Amino acid sequence: MRLTEILKLVRLNLSQNKSKVILTSTGILVGAATIMLVIAIGTGGKEEVAEQFQNLNAGAIDISYEYEGNSGFGGGMSGGGMPGGGGGMPSGGAAPSMPSGGGMPSMPSGGAMPSMPSGDFGGFGGFPGMDGFGQQNTEQIILSTDETGALEEGVEGLSAVTISYTSRADAQGGELEEAQSYTVAGVKENYAKISNLTMEIGEFFTEENDEYKERTCVLGYDVAQEMFGSALAAYDESVYIDNRPYVVNGVLSQMGTVASGISPDEAIFIPYETGIKYITGKDVSPTITLVAEKVDEVESVMEQAKDVLAQLWPNAVFTMSDAGSKMEAASASNETLTLLLAAMAIIVFIVGGIGIMNVLFVSVRERTNEIGILKAIGCSKKDILLEFLMEAACISFIGSVLGVLLALGITPVIEQLSVRVELSVWGGVLSLLFGSLTGTIFGFYPAWKASRLIPVEALNQE
Amino acid sequence: MSAESEKKEIVTTEIIKMENINKGYRLGEEMVPVLRDVCFSVEKGEFVAILGPSGSGKTTLMNIIGCMDVADSGSYFLNGEAIHEMPQDRLNEIRNREIGFIFQNYQLIPTYNILQNIIMPLVVRGMTSREAEEICMPFIELLGISHRLNHKPNELSGGQKQRVSIARALAGQPAILLADEPTGALDSSSGKDVLNLFEKINAMGNTIVMITHDLNVAQRAKRIVHMIDGRLSSG
Repeated sequence: MRLTEILKLVRLNLSQNKSKVILTSTGILVGAATIMLVIAIGTGGKEEVAEQFQNLNAGAIDISYEYEGNSGFGGGMSGGGMPGGGGGMPSGGAAPSMPSGGGMPSMPSGGAMPSMPSGDFGGFGGFPGMDGFGQQNTEQIILSTDETGALEEGVEGLSAVTISYTSRADAQGGELEEAQSYTVAGVKENYAKISNLTMEIGEFFTEENDEYKERTCVLGYDVAQEMFGSALAAYDESVYIDNRPYVVNGVLSQMGTVASGISPDEAIFIPYETGIKYITGKDVSPTITLVAEKVDEVESVMEQAKDVLAQLWPNAVFTMSDAGSKMEAASASNETLTLLLAAMAIIVFIVGGIGIMNVLFVSVRERTNEIGILKAIGCSKKDILLEFLMEAACISFIGSVLGVLLALGITPVIEQLSVRVELSVWGGVLSLLFGSLTGTIFGFYPAWKASRLIPVEALNQE
Repeated sequence: MSAESEKKEIVTTEIIKMENINKGYRLGEEMVPVLRDVCFSVEKGEFVAILGPSGSGKTTLMNIIGCMDVADSGSYFLNGEAIHEMPQDRLNEIRNREIGFIFQNYQLIPTYNILQNIIMPLVVRGMTSREAEEICMPFIELLGISHRLNHKPNELSGGQKQRVSIARALAGQPAILLADEPTGALDSSSGKDVLNLFEKINAMGNTIVMITHDLNVAQRAKRIVHMIDGRLSSG
């Protein structure tokens, strides 16, 4: 039998059972819609991650220091634990707290040896067990250009080093009626390059601006919009931060959301030293950003940086995080979500497929007599198998098409739930393919059953 | 070589040649014989009636003649082909080419229209609908159903349905027309119509084997064979 003729029969049979076709294909419909959305949400998630990290240099390593204060239990412990600091460190005014060392359970004799020179005592600080206590960051370390300089010299494979901090300050300018609180970022002149920031208009500030603590600033795109209505209008105007005027040197292009650090669209960038002088004072906790020349050298750069900092601050622990592993973590969680959704889609498909199988079984039973007639007039097993299989394929194809349409329909709803959905052609094609395939696979058994009917028996069944 | 020439002889003289056909059904532990050593031959152009009461095994014989069932033993040549030696998978081809079925209850496919029902044997053979329609037109006109082609079977009367099924049987231009109680479901005037048609078709050179339990129907055939308890006797 010709394929076109079999298809004609399939069309004939399906067109006479429209409601059955629609109901049967519902399972596949839901499955196809699910898989389409899974792909769309997966792609959306991936793109979101990619976008968050697009401003982040893959070789970037952030170093920061968290000061935990000289308080409570930790303070008491480290008082004993860091007498070495007392030997040479500027912050080593820990001597008065020395007696509290006696409180350490592992060193009962500590209290009994108050006369011991602190330098010797510091030798104990080198015990591994002691080190753990020593890691309480009680020293007030403010990272500065001293550290960046040391890192620049002591670490190999660096392409750039920069230091930055953020703070909040009231700013006013342009059409704003009253001052609002903004994120103010004190950065070095190379920050823009390292963070892949691009200028909408004007220039980023220069080393001289920083050196002379000039009151100049670069506005994030959204800030410029808010204050002046546009980047162009903001350019060369003045913005008042903490009531001091700053010249707008330039406006950044719209950068979108970022994974971590400063969100550039909503920040005002000022030269590092300027900020320290006028806004924050000395008491800031800056972040040093190292950029490795090659992404695969990030590990070694981190190790070297640790060594350099350990030489400067032997008892402090610095928080280091590299962009690569952040990116990996974000992608991994996105992949997990996609996998979960995909598993759901598969379950839906199985349920839909079983639905098709069920209906086809009923259909084979209903049409036993027809199958008998076809066999009597010489239809081969293959033709009958093909006809039923193609009916299954058509039903599931119709379901898949409706599913894809449904997915297109609910996409705006999902987007309302602020889930990023990226519809794609190949997602649609894949769900059509998957849907049709599922129905066909599950349709195979009933079709095979139909093809195996014995003509005499099939004919006699009423 | 001699065997082959013998076969050729069969082709020229006998459409059906059955020898010592046996067929039984298993009923629990026992084998119940249905056909016992049946020998049956039909010459080309004959109109034969197989007459017998129900339960005599005539339906089983018809199924074997129609290649829908196979005998347990014996030989069966249909239009020169050794059906008893043929793998069952190929029987559908034989049915399609050599046999035109006419059933008591018409056996039309309810979802197809009349035309689609009639052309089916040719479509199954691998023709396009259009080719098949062309070939079938003379038969459709012969049977006077050309005005009904777009109707569904259930819109037709019994007599008309049987005409459709005769048209379908003729469509494939088979070696034999095999009719199983063709008038069984019809009123007497429609039944007479069908039998008149059979005579007409037979006169055109078609071989007809008709199975019936009704002597009056059987008498319209040129030859009658009786089936009693699985045995065949001419008379």
